[in-house]
Amino acid sequence: MATAELVLGLLSAGPAHGYDVKRGHDTWFPDSRPLAFGQVYTTLGRLERDGLVEVVDKTAGGGPDRTVYALTSKGRDHLSDWLSDPVPPAWGSADEVLRKLVAAIRTGGDAAAFLARQRASHLRRIRELRETPAEDDPTSPLVREYIVAHLDADLRWLDSALEHISDQREAHP
Amino acid sequence: MTGLMAAPPALELSGVKYSYRRNTALRGVSLRIKSGEVVAITGASGCGKSTLLHCAAGILSPHYGTVRLAGQDVAALPEEERARLRRTKVGIVLQFGQLVPDLSLLDNVALPLLLDGHERAEAQETARGWLEQVGIADEAEAVPAELSGGQTQRAAVARALVTGPSVVLADEPTGSLDSRAGQELLDVLLKSARYRGAALVMVTHDNLVAASADREIRLRDGVIQHEVVL
Repeated sequence: MATAELVLGLLSAGPAHGYDVKRGHDTWFPDSRPLAFGQVYTTLGRLERDGLVEVVDKTAGGGPDRTVYALTSKGRDHLSDWLSDPVPPAWGSADEVLRKLVAAIRTGGDAAAFLARQRASHLRRIRELRETPAEDDPTSPLVREYIVAHLDADLRWLDSALEHISDQREAHP
Repeated sequence: MTGLMAAPPALELSGVKYSYRRNTALRGVSLRIKSGEVVAITGASGCGKSTLLHCAAGILSPHYGTVRLAGQDVAALPEEERARLRRTKVGIVLQFGQLVPDLSLLDNVALPLLLDGHERAEAQETARGWLEQVGIADEAEAVPAELSGGQTQRAAVARALVTGPSVVLADEPTGSLDSRAGQELLDVLLKSARYRGAALVMVTHDNLVAASADREIRLRDGVIQHEVVL
């Protein structure tokens, strides 16, 4: 996950504390997993080491939460490159649903029952998302649609997996 | 001990079987749906979901098993009574609206009431209220050819609900619409069914429609494969 580049993006509007970076991230990506404070400070430390951000203010004796970071020109160039590069398409990422399904089939578990429960879990998540309107800002509806479209794609795959397993069960009872 | 008798399910199917000439579509399906409940019937093409809906609607008569509407065995009723029960207790929304092309929207929506013997003025007033409820009151005088797909489906929802049915059956209600119009139609359908306290049964292959249900019943080869509460 490109947390480092996102942090650069969040600093592009001006110098900020780690706390503001975290808050900004969570606003940009509602419905997603919030960014942990620990990860923010680790990332800022690494970016500072690489010369992509710099400390512009620090309260004496204060910890990382009292430090204000700003983008360097090198950081700005890095961000610009990152924003223009296409993302390579994922190939065969083994996410946990696939891992569990393969393991269930390989170990003689009840794969069909697992798939039915997984479908229900995905359907519930879509309903939760649709019941709360997305924030009225330029990007929140896009984030929401992206998540729903991916859940929908997962569900279509879960459907065909369920059919596949049922066909196999009938062919080899 | 005194107490209220439990209300019968809005819709109950027991051991329903149905075959087309060479093809068995339903092999013994039993289900109970309560008033106010929203149920999605899902499954691959050809699994029997539309046949199930048509049996529930009384469009097809099951070869075995029973269909009960509000506790009444539909097949046991005399023909006239059965037709009246279907007209007044069941609302149907099909994929392409199936409106009468020569009638205005207002008359299309009023039609089930007119067939049930209501006065024209009264039927039109009720129909107008439903057109308002589904957000197309301004199109009351238009004929179906003048409407978008989304507006046609909204009119179909209004027509399905105008008699105050206890069960609304919808066969791929958003199937002919793009995703935004489909979502708007779904919202109208859910809101209208809830407003009436009617049970809503939607046959769908659309996961976004299924996600709005309280329960998913999945069919495979004419039997229930699984049922999950959402």
